[in-house]
Amino acid sequence: MDRRTFFRKSIGTSIAVGSYMAFGKYTDLIAAAPITYDLVAVKGGTPDVMFDKGIEALGGIGAYVKKGQKVVIKPNIGWDVPPERAANTNPLLVSTIIKRCLDAGAKEVYVFDHTCDTWNRCYKNSGIESAAKSAGAKIASGNFEIYYHDITIPGGKTLTSAKEHELVLDSDVFINVPVLKHHSGSTLTCAMKNLMGNVWDRKFWHRTDLHQCIADFATFRKPHLNVVDAYMVMKTNGPRGVSTEDVVAMKSLLISADIVAVDAAAAKLLGNNPNDIRHIQLAAEMKVGRKDLDKLNIKRITV
Amino acid sequence: MSLFTLGKLKKLRVVVSLILFIPVSFLFLDPWNSIPPQASNFLVSLQIIPSFQKILVYSGVTIAGLFFVLALTLAFGRVYCSTICPLGTLQDLIIRVSKKFQKRKRYQYKKPHYALHYWIFTAVTASSVAGSMALMNLLEPFSNFGRILTNAVDPIFLLGYNTVASLLVRLQVYALYNIPVRDFSLVPLLPSLLFLAVVAYMSYKHGRLFCNTLCPAGAFLGLASRLSLFKIAIDENTCTECGACEKVCKANCIESSTKRIDYGSCVNCFNCISSCPTEGVVYRNVFSKKHAINHDLVNQPRRKFVGALALPLLGILAPAFKPADTTRAAGSGYDDNRLRPITPPGSKSVRHFSSLCTACHLCVSACPTQVLYPSFLEYGLTGVFQPRMNYSSSYCNYDCNLCSQICPSGAILPVDAPAKKEIQIGKANFVKEDCVVVTNKKDCAACSEHCPTKAVHTVPYEGKLLIPQLDNDICVGCGACEHSCPTTPRKAIYVSPNPVHLQAKKPKVEKSKDVFDSKQDFPF
Repeated sequence: MDRRTFFRKSIGTSIAVGSYMAFGKYTDLIAAAPITYDLVAVKGGTPDVMFDKGIEALGGIGAYVKKGQKVVIKPNIGWDVPPERAANTNPLLVSTIIKRCLDAGAKEVYVFDHTCDTWNRCYKNSGIESAAKSAGAKIASGNFEIYYHDITIPGGKTLTSAKEHELVLDSDVFINVPVLKHHSGSTLTCAMKNLMGNVWDRKFWHRTDLHQCIADFATFRKPHLNVVDAYMVMKTNGPRGVSTEDVVAMKSLLISADIVAVDAAAAKLLGNNPNDIRHIQLAAEMKVGRKDLDKLNIKRITV
Repeated sequence: MSLFTLGKLKKLRVVVSLILFIPVSFLFLDPWNSIPPQASNFLVSLQIIPSFQKILVYSGVTIAGLFFVLALTLAFGRVYCSTICPLGTLQDLIIRVSKKFQKRKRYQYKKPHYALHYWIFTAVTASSVAGSMALMNLLEPFSNFGRILTNAVDPIFLLGYNTVASLLVRLQVYALYNIPVRDFSLVPLLPSLLFLAVVAYMSYKHGRLFCNTLCPAGAFLGLASRLSLFKIAIDENTCTECGACEKVCKANCIESSTKRIDYGSCVNCFNCISSCPTEGVVYRNVFSKKHAINHDLVNQPRRKFVGALALPLLGILAPAFKPADTTRAAGSGYDDNRLRPITPPGSKSVRHFSSLCTACHLCVSACPTQVLYPSFLEYGLTGVFQPRMNYSSSYCNYDCNLCSQICPSGAILPVDAPAKKEIQIGKANFVKEDCVVVTNKKDCAACSEHCPTKAVHTVPYEGKLLIPQLDNDICVGCGACEHSCPTTPRKAIYVSPNPVHLQAKKPKVEKSKDVFDSKQDFPF
């Protein structure tokens, strides 16, 4: 965050907090404070139902989204393939989250991704553009450098600077909504890897040290919420997939504010040991979050 | 036909030309690819030279378009040049501007340049028959128009569009998206501007001079229009030799003093009819006896053409225009392979593509990923400006077959989406010693990540690392691996062309085994 952004943000926050103190109900603030679970895992339902059940266990969306806030939702829209290929986040999940944010009084909700395949085709064919628009969100492009601004990553070892999308920089609430998939380079792609879509130059990551850069970037901004779509999961040939045969039905959803924990749990779902995924290991070492699932307070819900 | 309607022919011509000019121009600018391929095909099927190229290899709507133009010419003369040809309409627009600046602009009869025109026409035809599209592409009107729009107008259009889109984004309005502008390159831009300058100069100063000296379509239609049923003529009885028709004749083909009209040059703009104060210029059925016409004075282009055709010299020159030898063995050298052009799916082979493409750049402007890029000398001297796959700017979208659906010349033949996925236009080559996994001992796999068929997949390497491996049977040569490879200065993976396109095997499909389903307990 540069100085100007900092000032702008702090002024904005002060006004928001100030007016809240003056006019808002104090009980809301208090009710929002305690988060009882480190991770919520839901299974057996459709993405919309699972999200509602899961977020309820975390105190409702109101614990994360306040009236008048600007929310940015970052699904994975990386590939020009239809929803049944599960290479992109489930459109129903995206639209459900948008609706809940707007219900909670969000001023505006934005959806974007820096796609791999041609962006407008990805937006359209993933089904996310139409789902997001009809749910009331604004769709923005992530494939133009002019929307990206320099950031420094003080906690990064290899990745110490990058250019991040202005929507994320200016957001009050950032919700990371990855889809869990096999990945031919990083073994799996989930919450931390999904944040690659926030930055402009990804070739540096690939060229230098992919896992370390993923972990480094996770130190910069922890999403307020990570919602992992594991409804349909690409088990092989990820991250783009070749056919629907790569996809298995897991009918699951994970929610956590801890990006490392949610990735560790997702790795288990995919049949991997979290300790074998280097970026999970590195991020845990760098204290971005916790991968010791057995010590976490996990709420398990079957719909 | 009553004389009342004849006076309105000019107006009709202007209206029809604009009705065609606007959508044809938009084909090259359309930032949303909103024009369906069928509509695009219909519009471009009227463009005589690309359509002629296309019926050599493909039928469909093209045949109807080409025969329509031929029938139109045989019935009404060179109306193509004044209504259908977008370069013709562009020249008319320039001529209109020229009249604003030259208030007393008057055209004068000039002896037609038949000899020059048919020499050029013969050279163009002979060289394209011999397999070189170089001369054709330099002179063909529709393709030159397309190149001007694609390379000079479209970037400016997009710049304006993107400025508006960005301003709206600053106002938090996400109604318009930015459209990527192709990587800037002087090569397609400068020749297009140069051509525009030449045509603009010629039309500004001398009306339709380009159409009657350089244009191959004009030459052909000039011959065909000799046979047309309806012709413009001067009625000896009503003509007062005032010269009004000659002054407005932008093809310089009316000599009012002798009442002669050169049909080989007349582009049927009908300005003469509108200008005549005495209804002395008529447009009549040649068998009609109603008017007194002096036939002897009509200039004949036919003899000149036969003379030009008989030039045996061109037969000797033809082998020099042979397309560059593109059939040499693949893998003949690392850097060599990288420089050789890759042609889009549907173009069958480099030879097929290069011998038919008129370089109109319609595919270049329509390509949603912008992988199609104008070449310069990559195809050799014989295929200047023809598009090629440029994997440094992008890669071919696996599910897209748009270029094959819209190509006007048959250089890219129509292929449906499933068939397109099995066309192998090139093969991936992996240079292991340049790969990040080897040089850096770190995971990367950007190539395999982007590969749509998993021809590039990863296998374990030195412990827990994953390194790319190729299965070229299922590689389609789309270039996703090459484009996404992060190594510099050389890519560790690149696509070498298949001079003749091959059939790729279907990607292997194997049902993934469930590891977790919602009936089990969570594994954590």
